[in-house]
Amino acid sequence: MEMFYIQLISGLLVGILFGFVLQRGRFCMNSAIRDIVLMKDYKLIKSVALALLTCMFGFGFMGLVGMVTFNPKSLTLFGSILGGFVFGLGMVLAAGCASGTTYRVGEGMMGSLVALLGLALGAAATGAGTLSGLKSALQSINYGPVTLFGALTKWTPLFSLILGILGLGATFYFWVLKEIKAEREEFFDFSDMSEKIFKKGWSWYTTGYLVGLINIIAWPLSAAAGRNYPLGITAGWAGNLKFLTTTTTDSPTAGLSWISWLVIGVILGAMIASMIAGEFKLRTPRDGKTILLQLVGGFIMGFGATVAMGCNIGNLLSGIPQLSLGSIVASIGIVLGCWLMAFLLFREKDE
Amino acid sequence: MVEITETLDCMGEVCPYPDVKSKRKVKKMKSGEILEILVDYPLSAERIPETMKNLGHEVVSVEKTDKSAWKIILRIK
Repeated sequence: MEMFYIQLISGLLVGILFGFVLQRGRFCMNSAIRDIVLMKDYKLIKSVALALLTCMFGFGFMGLVGMVTFNPKSLTLFGSILGGFVFGLGMVLAAGCASGTTYRVGEGMMGSLVALLGLALGAAATGAGTLSGLKSALQSINYGPVTLFGALTKWTPLFSLILGILGLGATFYFWVLKEIKAEREEFFDFSDMSEKIFKKGWSWYTTGYLVGLINIIAWPLSAAAGRNYPLGITAGWAGNLKFLTTTTTDSPTAGLSWISWLVIGVILGAMIASMIAGEFKLRTPRDGKTILLQLVGGFIMGFGATVAMGCNIGNLLSGIPQLSLGSIVASIGIVLGCWLMAFLLFREKDE
Repeated sequence: MVEITETLDCMGEVCPYPDVKSKRKVKKMKSGEILEILVDYPLSAERIPETMKNLGHEVVSVEKTDKSAWKIILRIK
Protein backbone atom coordinates (compact mmCIF):
# COMPACT_ATOMS: atom_id res chain seq x y z
CA MET A 1 0.00 0.00 0.00
CA GLU A 2 2.98 2.25 0.60
CA MET A 3 3.87 2.02 -3.11
CA PHE A 4 0.36 3.19 -3.92
CA TYR A 5 0.99 6.49 -2.15
CA ILE A 6 4.45 6.92 -3.65
CA GLN A 7 2.92 6.51 -7.11
CA LEU A 8 0.07 8.83 -6.30
CA ILE A 9 2.10 11.70 -4.85
CA SER A 10 5.08 11.61 -7.20
CA GLY A 11 3.00 10.97 -10.33
CA LEU A 12 0.49 13.66 -9.48
CA LEU A 13 3.15 16.28 -8.70
CA VAL A 14 5.13 15.68 -11.89
CA GLY A 15 1.86 15.68 -13.82
CA ILE A 16 0.77 19.03 -12.37
CA LEU A 17 4.13 20.54 -13.28
CA PHE A 18 3.96 19.07 -16.78
CA GLY A 19 0.38 20.23 -17.33
CA PHE A 20 1.21 23.72 -16.13
CA VAL A 21 4.11 24.02 -18.59
CA LEU A 22 2.11 22.50 -21.47
CA GLN A 23 -0.69 25.02 -20.97
CA ARG A 24 1.53 28.07 -20.53
CA GLY A 25 3.70 27.10 -23.49
CA ARG A 26 0.81 25.87 -25.70
CA PHE A 27 3.03 22.86 -26.28
CA CYS A 28 1.17 20.63 -28.72
CA MET A 29 3.01 18.30 -31.06
CA ASN A 30 0.01 18.03 -33.36
CA SER A 31 0.17 21.77 -34.02
CA ALA A 32 3.97 21.65 -34.13
CA ILE A 33 4.15 18.97 -36.82
CA ARG A 34 1.06 20.02 -38.74
CA ASP A 35 1.99 23.69 -38.96
CA ILE A 36 5.29 22.96 -40.69
CA VAL A 37 3.19 22.32 -43.80
CA LEU A 38 -0.08 24.07 -42.99
CA MET A 39 0.93 27.45 -41.58
CA LYS A 40 4.66 27.42 -42.40
CA ASP A 41 5.13 28.17 -38.72
CA TYR A 42 8.19 26.58 -37.09
CA LYS A 43 8.11 27.90 -33.54
CA LEU A 44 6.41 24.92 -31.95
CA ILE A 45 8.55 22.37 -33.75
CA LYS A 46 11.66 24.22 -32.59
CA SER A 47 10.24 23.97 -29.10
CA VAL A 48 9.85 20.20 -29.56
CA ALA A 49 13.43 19.96 -30.84
CA LEU A 50 14.80 21.79 -27.80
CA ALA A 51 12.80 19.53 -25.47
CA LEU A 52 14.18 16.44 -27.24
CA LEU A 53 17.78 17.64 -27.08
CA THR A 54 17.44 18.60 -23.42
CA CYS A 55 16.16 15.08 -22.72
CA MET A 56 19.05 13.57 -24.68
CA PHE A 57 21.53 15.47 -22.58
CA GLY A 58 19.79 14.66 -19.29
CA PHE A 59 19.03 11.02 -20.05
CA GLY A 60 22.58 10.46 -21.32
CA PHE A 61 24.05 11.97 -18.18
CA MET A 62 21.75 10.07 -15.82
CA GLY A 63 22.37 6.84 -17.74
CA LEU A 64 26.15 7.23 -17.52
CA VAL A 65 26.23 7.92 -13.79
CA GLY A 66 23.76 5.10 -13.18
CA MET A 67 20.79 7.14 -12.01
CA VAL A 68 18.57 5.48 -14.61
CA THR A 69 18.81 2.36 -16.77
CA PHE A 70 18.08 2.91 -20.45
CA ASN A 71 14.91 1.12 -21.50
CA PRO A 72 14.32 1.81 -25.21
CA LYS A 73 11.15 0.57 -26.93
CA SER A 74 11.38 -2.41 -29.24
CA LEU A 75 11.33 -2.02 -33.00
CA THR A 76 8.68 -4.07 -34.79
CA LEU A 77 8.54 -4.49 -38.55
CA PHE A 78 4.97 -3.29 -39.12
CA GLY A 79 3.89 -2.07 -35.70
CA SER A 80 6.32 0.81 -35.28
CA ILE A 81 5.74 2.53 -38.61
CA LEU A 82 2.04 1.71 -39.03
CA GLY A 83 1.17 2.44 -35.42
CA GLY A 84 2.93 5.79 -35.66
CA PHE A 85 1.30 6.61 -38.99
CA VAL A 86 -2.20 5.80 -37.74
CA PHE A 87 -1.52 7.81 -34.59
CA GLY A 88 -0.56 10.77 -36.79
CA LEU A 89 -3.78 10.51 -38.80
CA GLY A 90 -5.78 10.35 -35.58
CA MET A 91 -4.21 13.31 -33.88
CA VAL A 92 -5.21 15.74 -36.63
CA LEU A 93 -8.83 14.52 -36.35
CA ALA A 94 -8.69 14.70 -32.56
CA ALA A 95 -7.24 18.25 -32.82
CA GLY A 96 -4.43 17.37 -30.45
CA CYS A 97 -1.77 14.79 -29.73
CA ALA A 98 -2.03 12.60 -26.63
CA SER A 99 -0.49 15.22 -24.36
CA GLY A 100 -2.17 18.15 -26.15
CA THR A 101 -5.57 16.53 -25.80
CA THR A 102 -4.95 15.85 -22.11
CA TYR A 103 -3.88 19.36 -21.19
CA ARG A 104 -6.73 20.96 -23.17
CA VAL A 105 -9.23 19.08 -21.04
CA GLY A 106 -7.74 21.09 -18.18
CA GLU A 107 -8.47 24.31 -20.13
CA GLY A 108 -12.12 23.26 -20.26
CA MET A 109 -12.24 22.12 -23.87
CA MET A 110 -14.94 19.48 -23.87
CA GLY A 111 -14.19 18.38 -27.43
CA SER A 112 -10.80 17.28 -26.15
CA LEU A 113 -12.51 15.39 -23.32
CA VAL A 114 -14.40 13.41 -25.96
CA ALA A 115 -11.11 12.78 -27.80
CA LEU A 116 -9.58 11.63 -24.53
CA LEU A 117 -12.35 9.09 -23.96
CA GLY A 118 -11.75 7.83 -27.48
CA LEU A 119 -8.02 7.59 -26.77
CA ALA A 120 -8.54 5.55 -23.60
CA LEU A 121 -11.07 3.26 -25.29
CA GLY A 122 -8.90 2.74 -28.37
CA ALA A 123 -5.82 2.01 -26.28
CA ALA A 124 -7.67 -0.41 -23.98
CA ALA A 125 -9.39 -2.21 -26.87
CA THR A 126 -6.04 -2.63 -28.63
CA GLY A 127 -4.05 -3.50 -25.54
CA ALA A 128 -6.23 -6.27 -24.20
CA GLY A 129 -9.56 -6.23 -26.01
CA THR A 130 -11.17 -6.82 -29.37
CA LEU A 131 -8.26 -5.36 -31.35
CA SER A 132 -5.48 -7.10 -29.40
CA GLY A 133 -5.22 -9.87 -32.04
CA LEU A 134 -4.53 -7.29 -34.73
CA LYS A 135 -1.96 -5.63 -32.51
CA SER A 136 -0.15 -8.92 -31.86
CA ALA A 137 -0.11 -9.67 -35.59
CA LEU A 138 1.37 -6.25 -36.40
CA GLN A 139 3.99 -6.61 -33.69
CA SER A 140 4.85 -10.24 -34.48
CA ILE A 141 8.18 -9.49 -36.15
CA ASN A 142 10.06 -7.91 -33.28
CA TYR A 143 13.73 -6.84 -33.39
CA GLY A 144 13.91 -5.98 -29.70
CA PRO A 145 15.18 -2.73 -28.14
CA VAL A 146 17.70 -1.81 -30.83
CA THR A 147 19.13 1.70 -30.84
CA LEU A 148 20.38 4.03 -33.53
CA PHE A 149 23.90 2.75 -32.82
CA GLY A 150 23.06 -0.96 -32.71
CA ALA A 151 22.33 -3.08 -29.68
CA LEU A 152 21.78 -1.44 -26.30
CA THR A 153 25.07 -1.33 -24.38
CA LYS A 154 26.35 0.58 -21.39
CA TRP A 155 27.74 3.12 -23.84
CA THR A 156 24.37 4.01 -25.38
CA PRO A 157 23.86 6.83 -22.83
CA LEU A 158 27.19 8.31 -23.92
CA PHE A 159 25.91 8.63 -27.50
CA SER A 160 22.80 10.37 -26.17
CA LEU A 161 24.91 12.72 -24.10
CA ILE A 162 27.17 13.65 -27.02
CA LEU A 163 24.25 14.22 -29.40
CA GLY A 164 22.50 16.23 -26.69
CA ILE A 165 25.50 18.50 -26.09
CA LEU A 166 26.11 19.09 -29.81
CA GLY A 167 22.43 19.67 -30.50
CA LEU A 168 21.88 21.99 -27.56
CA GLY A 169 24.94 24.00 -28.51
CA ALA A 170 23.93 24.35 -32.14
CA THR A 171 20.28 25.19 -31.46
CA PHE A 172 21.25 27.70 -28.80
CA TYR A 173 23.67 29.44 -31.14
CA PHE A 174 21.50 29.44 -34.26
CA TRP A 175 17.98 29.78 -32.82
CA VAL A 176 17.80 30.88 -29.21
CA LEU A 177 20.60 33.44 -29.10
CA LYS A 178 19.12 35.27 -32.06
CA GLU A 179 15.73 35.37 -30.39
CA ILE A 180 17.15 36.63 -27.10
CA LYS A 181 19.15 39.34 -28.88
CA ALA A 182 16.09 40.48 -30.79
CA GLU A 183 14.09 40.74 -27.59
CA ARG A 184 16.97 41.88 -25.43
CA GLU A 185 15.18 44.61 -23.55
CA GLU A 186 12.16 42.50 -22.88
CA PHE A 187 14.29 39.51 -21.94
CA PHE A 188 16.25 41.30 -19.24
CA ASP A 189 13.27 43.21 -17.97
CA PHE A 190 12.45 41.44 -14.75
CA SER A 191 9.58 43.66 -13.70
CA ASP A 192 6.12 42.12 -14.04
CA MET A 193 7.58 38.63 -13.70
CA SER A 194 4.32 37.25 -12.36
CA GLU A 195 2.47 38.77 -15.29
CA LYS A 196 4.89 37.12 -17.67
CA ILE A 197 4.76 33.74 -15.93
CA PHE A 198 1.08 33.48 -15.15
CA LYS A 199 -0.74 35.63 -17.70
CA LYS A 200 1.12 35.55 -21.00
CA GLY A 201 2.01 32.56 -23.16
CA TRP A 202 5.64 31.50 -22.77
CA SER A 203 8.24 31.74 -25.48
CA TRP A 204 8.93 28.59 -27.47
CA TYR A 205 12.44 28.15 -26.13
CA THR A 206 11.48 28.53 -22.45
CA THR A 207 8.78 25.92 -23.00
CA GLY A 208 11.08 23.57 -24.88
CA TYR A 209 13.79 23.59 -22.22
CA LEU A 210 11.25 23.20 -19.41
CA VAL A 211 9.42 20.27 -21.04
CA GLY A 212 12.80 18.56 -21.43
CA LEU A 213 13.71 19.30 -17.81
CA ILE A 214 10.45 17.87 -16.51
CA ASN A 215 11.04 14.67 -18.46
CA ILE A 216 14.51 14.42 -16.91
CA ILE A 217 13.06 14.79 -13.41
CA ALA A 218 10.23 12.40 -14.27
CA TRP A 219 12.31 9.36 -15.15
CA PRO A 220 14.07 8.64 -11.81
CA LEU A 221 10.85 9.43 -9.95
CA SER A 222 8.86 7.10 -12.18
CA ALA A 223 11.53 4.40 -11.77
CA ALA A 224 11.39 4.79 -7.99
CA ALA A 225 7.65 4.12 -8.25
CA GLY A 226 8.27 0.87 -10.11
CA ARG A 227 8.05 2.04 -13.72
CA ASN A 228 11.42 2.43 -15.46
CA TYR A 229 10.49 4.92 -18.18
CA PRO A 230 10.24 8.70 -18.60
CA LEU A 231 6.98 10.49 -19.38
CA GLY A 232 4.16 8.86 -21.31
CA ILE A 233 0.45 9.60 -21.69
CA THR A 234 -1.53 6.91 -23.46
CA ALA A 235 -0.69 4.02 -21.12
CA GLY A 236 -1.90 6.19 -18.24
CA TRP A 237 -5.37 6.60 -19.70
CA ALA A 238 -5.61 2.95 -20.71
CA GLY A 239 -4.58 2.02 -17.17
CA ASN A 240 -7.14 4.32 -15.61
CA LEU A 241 -9.87 2.85 -17.79
CA LYS A 242 -8.77 -0.64 -16.79
CA PHE A 243 -8.86 0.40 -13.14
CA LEU A 244 -12.37 1.80 -13.51
CA THR A 245 -13.80 -1.20 -15.30
CA THR A 246 -11.94 -4.28 -14.04
CA THR A 247 -11.09 -3.63 -10.41
CA THR A 248 -12.13 -6.42 -8.07
CA THR A 249 -11.62 -6.87 -4.34
CA ASP A 250 -8.75 -9.27 -5.13
CA SER A 251 -6.83 -6.70 -7.13
CA PRO A 252 -7.97 -3.32 -5.82
CA THR A 253 -5.54 -1.27 -7.90
CA ALA A 254 -5.57 -3.09 -11.25
CA GLY A 255 -4.14 -0.90 -13.99
CA LEU A 256 -2.99 1.85 -11.64
CA SER A 257 0.63 2.95 -11.75
CA TRP A 258 2.71 6.11 -11.59
CA ILE A 259 1.57 7.15 -15.06
CA SER A 260 -2.13 6.91 -14.11
CA TRP A 261 -1.62 9.72 -11.64
CA LEU A 262 0.67 11.60 -13.98
CA VAL A 263 -2.05 12.08 -16.60
CA ILE A 264 -4.57 13.22 -14.00
CA GLY A 265 -1.93 15.65 -12.75
CA VAL A 266 -1.52 17.04 -16.29
CA ILE A 267 -5.22 17.97 -16.37
CA LEU A 268 -5.00 19.56 -12.91
CA GLY A 269 -1.83 21.49 -13.78
CA ALA A 270 -3.32 22.84 -16.99
CA MET A 271 -6.50 23.74 -15.13
CA ILE A 272 -4.55 25.70 -12.50
CA ALA A 273 -2.48 27.48 -15.16
CA SER A 274 -5.46 28.39 -17.32
CA MET A 275 -7.52 29.56 -14.34
CA ILE A 276 -4.75 31.90 -13.18
CA ALA A 277 -4.38 33.25 -16.72
CA GLY A 278 -8.12 33.67 -17.13
CA GLU A 279 -8.17 31.17 -19.97
CA PHE A 280 -10.31 28.50 -18.36
CA LYS A 281 -13.80 28.07 -19.74
CA LEU A 282 -15.95 25.01 -20.32
CA ARG A 283 -16.60 25.08 -24.05
CA THR A 284 -17.45 22.83 -26.97
CA PRO A 285 -16.84 23.02 -30.69
CA ARG A 286 -19.97 24.50 -32.24
CA ASP A 287 -20.16 21.86 -34.91
CA GLY A 288 -21.42 18.39 -33.93
CA LYS A 289 -19.28 16.89 -36.68
CA THR A 290 -16.13 18.19 -35.00
CA ILE A 291 -16.95 16.35 -31.78
CA LEU A 292 -17.61 13.13 -33.69
CA LEU A 293 -14.29 13.50 -35.53
CA GLN A 294 -12.53 14.10 -32.25
CA LEU A 295 -13.97 10.88 -30.80
CA VAL A 296 -12.93 8.88 -33.85
CA GLY A 297 -9.53 10.60 -33.93
CA GLY A 298 -8.97 9.82 -30.26
CA PHE A 299 -9.84 6.15 -30.77
CA ILE A 300 -7.47 5.92 -33.74
CA MET A 301 -4.72 7.54 -31.69
CA GLY A 302 -5.25 5.03 -28.90
CA PHE A 303 -4.99 2.17 -31.40
CA GLY A 304 -1.88 3.61 -33.05
CA ALA A 305 -0.11 4.39 -29.79
CA THR A 306 -0.67 0.86 -28.50
CA VAL A 307 0.50 -0.76 -31.75
CA ALA A 308 3.59 1.50 -31.88
CA MET A 309 4.13 0.99 -28.12
CA GLY A 310 3.94 4.70 -27.42
CA CYS A 311 2.31 8.00 -28.31
CA ASN A 312 4.01 11.28 -29.16
CA ILE A 313 5.30 11.45 -25.58
CA GLY A 314 6.26 7.79 -24.98
CA ASN A 315 7.91 7.46 -28.37
CA LEU A 316 8.84 10.91 -29.59
CA LEU A 317 9.76 12.76 -26.39
CA SER A 318 10.92 9.84 -24.22
CA GLY A 319 12.01 7.22 -26.76
CA ILE A 320 14.05 9.23 -29.28
CA PRO A 321 16.41 10.61 -26.59
CA GLN A 322 17.13 6.98 -25.62
CA LEU A 323 18.01 6.52 -29.31
CA SER A 324 15.40 3.76 -29.68
CA LEU A 325 15.09 2.82 -33.33
CA GLY A 326 11.49 1.72 -32.74
CA SER A 327 10.66 5.18 -31.37
CA ILE A 328 12.43 6.93 -34.23
CA VAL A 329 10.52 4.89 -36.82
CA ALA A 330 7.23 5.43 -34.97
CA SER A 331 7.90 9.18 -34.83
CA ILE A 332 8.53 9.29 -38.57
CA GLY A 333 5.18 7.52 -38.94
CA ILE A 334 3.50 10.11 -36.70
CA VAL A 335 4.86 12.98 -38.81
CA LEU A 336 3.80 11.39 -42.11
CA GLY A 337 0.32 10.51 -40.82
CA CYS A 338 -0.15 14.01 -39.48
CA TRP A 339 0.88 15.61 -42.77
CA LEU A 340 -1.35 13.36 -44.85
CA MET A 341 -4.44 14.04 -42.71
CA ALA A 342 -3.73 17.78 -42.56
CA PHE A 343 -3.40 17.76 -46.34
CA LEU A 344 -6.68 15.86 -46.79
CA LEU A 345 -8.64 18.01 -44.34
CA PHE A 346 -7.37 21.49 -45.02
CA ARG A 347 -6.06 21.42 -48.55
CA GLU A 348 -8.83 22.13 -51.02
CA LYS A 349 -10.43 24.86 -48.94
CA ASP A 350 -7.16 26.75 -48.85
CA GLU A 351 -7.15 27.70 -52.52
CA MET B 1 -12.78 53.45 -33.17
CA VAL B 2 -12.16 51.90 -36.51
CA GLU B 3 -15.02 50.85 -38.70
CA ILE B 4 -15.20 47.09 -39.03
CA THR B 5 -15.71 45.79 -42.55
CA GLU B 6 -16.20 42.15 -41.67
CA THR B 7 -16.32 39.90 -38.62
CA LEU B 8 -14.98 36.37 -38.49
CA ASP B 9 -16.47 34.47 -35.55
CA CYS B 10 -14.28 31.54 -34.51
CA MET B 11 -15.70 31.08 -31.02
CA GLY B 12 -15.78 27.42 -30.06
CA GLU B 13 -13.54 26.43 -32.94
CA VAL B 14 -10.65 24.10 -32.22
CA CYS B 15 -7.10 24.18 -33.43
CA PRO B 16 -6.26 24.87 -36.29
CA TYR B 17 -9.58 26.17 -37.66
CA PRO B 18 -9.28 29.75 -36.33
CA ASP B 19 -5.82 30.10 -37.88
CA VAL B 20 -6.77 28.53 -41.19
CA LYS B 21 -10.05 30.43 -41.49
CA SER B 22 -8.52 33.80 -40.74
CA LYS B 23 -5.77 33.18 -43.27
CA ARG B 24 -8.37 32.35 -45.92
CA LYS B 25 -10.49 35.33 -44.96
CA VAL B 26 -7.78 37.96 -45.35
CA LYS B 27 -6.91 36.61 -48.76
CA LYS B 28 -10.42 37.50 -49.94
CA MET B 29 -10.48 41.00 -48.46
CA LYS B 30 -9.40 44.25 -50.06
CA SER B 31 -6.59 46.53 -48.99
CA GLY B 32 -7.49 48.92 -46.17
CA GLU B 33 -10.52 46.94 -45.03
CA ILE B 34 -10.84 46.08 -41.35
CA LEU B 35 -11.33 42.51 -40.18
CA GLU B 36 -12.48 41.62 -36.70
CA ILE B 37 -11.71 38.08 -35.52
CA LEU B 38 -13.34 36.57 -32.42
CA VAL B 39 -11.55 33.58 -30.86
CA ASP B 40 -11.66 31.72 -27.58
CA TYR B 41 -8.71 29.45 -28.17
CA PRO B 42 -5.56 30.75 -26.42
CA LEU B 43 -3.00 29.44 -28.91
CA SER B 44 -4.81 31.04 -31.86
CA ALA B 45 -5.24 34.32 -29.98
CA GLU B 46 -1.47 34.56 -29.80
CA ARG B 47 -0.66 33.10 -33.15
CA ILE B 48 -3.13 34.83 -35.46
CA PRO B 49 -1.70 38.32 -34.77
CA GLU B 50 1.81 36.99 -35.34
CA THR B 51 0.91 35.24 -38.57
CA MET B 52 -0.87 38.35 -39.80
CA LYS B 53 2.09 40.57 -38.99
CA ASN B 54 4.31 38.21 -40.95
CA LEU B 55 1.89 38.41 -43.86
CA GLY B 56 2.23 42.19 -43.77
CA HIS B 57 -1.19 43.11 -42.37
CA GLU B 58 -1.49 45.65 -39.59
CA VAL B 59 -2.65 44.34 -36.21
CA VAL B 60 -4.73 47.23 -34.92
CA SER B 61 -5.57 45.69 -31.57
CA VAL B 62 -5.83 42.46 -29.60
CA GLU B 63 -8.29 42.75 -26.76
CA LYS B 64 -9.19 40.15 -24.14
CA THR B 65 -12.94 40.51 -23.89
CA ASP B 66 -13.83 37.76 -21.43
CA LYS B 67 -12.52 34.58 -19.84
CA SER B 68 -10.65 32.93 -22.68
CA ALA B 69 -12.13 35.23 -25.33
CA TRP B 70 -10.27 37.62 -27.55
CA LYS B 71 -11.08 40.20 -30.23
CA ILE B 72 -8.40 40.75 -32.85
CA ILE B 73 -8.69 43.69 -35.23
CA LEU B 74 -6.67 43.79 -38.44
CA ARG B 75 -6.19 46.29 -41.23
CA ILE B 76 -5.63 44.48 -44.48
CA LYS B 77 -2.46 45.28 -46.36
